Amino acid sequence: MLSHLIIGASGLYLGDMLFVAISFIVLMAVIAKVAWNPVSKMMAERADKIANDIDSAQKSRQEAAELAEKRQEALSHSRAEASDIVADAKQSGEKQRTTIVAKAQTEATQYKQNARKDIEQERQDALKNVQSDVADISIQIATKIIKKQLDPEGQQALINSYIEGLGKHES
Amino acid sequence: MGDPVPTVKFLGLTFNIANDLSVLLTCVIVFLFVFLLSRHIALKPKGGQNVLEWLIEFTNGIVKGSIKGSDASHFGLYAFTLFLFIFVANQLGLFIHVQVGEFTYLKSPTADPIVTLTLSFMTVALAHAAGVQKNGMKGYLKSYTAPFLVFLPINIFEQFTDFLTLGLRLFGNIFAGEMLLNKVAGLATGSGGWFSYVYAFPIEFLWQGFSVFIGSVQAFVFVTLTSVYISQKVSPEE
Repeated sequence: MLSHLIIGASGLYLGDMLFVAISFIVLMAVIAKVAWNPVSKMMAERADKIANDIDSAQKSRQEAAELAEKRQEALSHSRAEASDIVADAKQSGEKQRTTIVAKAQTEATQYKQNARKDIEQERQDALKNVQSDVADISIQIATKIIKKQLDPEGQQALINSYIEGLGKHES
Repeated sequence: MGDPVPTVKFLGLTFNIANDLSVLLTCVIVFLFVFLLSRHIALKPKGGQNVLEWLIEFTNGIVKGSIKGSDASHFGLYAFTLFLFIFVANQLGLFIHVQVGEFTYLKSPTADPIVTLTLSFMTVALAHAAGVQKNGMKGYLKSYTAPFLVFLPINIFEQFTDFLTLGLRLFGNIFAGEMLLNKVAGLATGSGGWFSYVYAFPIEFLWQGFSVFIGSVQAFVFVTLTSVYISQKVSPEE
């Protein structure tokens, strides 16, 4: 079977060798175009993408940790601020309360004083009115009851003395 | 096997029709296989692309096993094509054997030493070319005197033994496999009558299975040795 190797050594195998080599090279070129290059490219892309994903995941995790820390800080800060605000409000409220109470007290005293003054005034006025009215009425009554038993001057003097005594007694 | 070969003279070169048809068929099968698997290439692989990527990873793994560093990426395509080609060529003869008259037209192309020696010649040529390109002509020639000048004849001799053993190992394995397969088939159709089919069938069956295994291993060995030879030329100090 291998006789063709020996007999046809000059011509036979060169044709086959060329054929095999050329078909193989053509096959390699076609495979490179159809499959090898796109698949290799895709594999490299995938490797890149995975590496990128790992990197970005690490980065975002770091960012998240940073944000959480910042948030914690802000939270404690705001808590302190809130308690400050509450304390301030309490203090100012207390102050306001004292001033309001003091003002109310002074006002109340003033009102009371004014009221007392007014009452006194009214009383004086009423007294004065009553004094004259009583005098007139008494004179009329007395005139009607004991007509002409007493002269009007003597009567007036008597009544005046009585009322004066009344006013003194009153005050 | 053992038959006269159908030959054609063309442009002063003689072509063995059986070899050329088988090589052509192998190329077509390999191309169709790869072509159909690579139709939908996506970042998220599916079905065929997974198979293809697994094969590429496999042959890339063989190459990276012997060639160190960035040089390995240059030979990935060669190793991939070589592996698929030899694998399909080895199995081809187990399924198809077309014989018209006294001539065989279709068989395993790797059962012919011309084909295997051509493949091994391509590998050796690629290895030498890569060696010259990587280390320059001076470095390439210097590698023949390593480690001492005394080794010069041994190193030169080694180039021929590498070339011959690489091609003849593949040829021997596949040729022997096909030969035995033919003999077993001959046993069935021989003088034993219908009874001979009964014992010939399981033997044929077993031997075919074993030949598939041998064909796969030989494809792997060929690609492995190819990358070893290339790495010897590319980085001779190792």
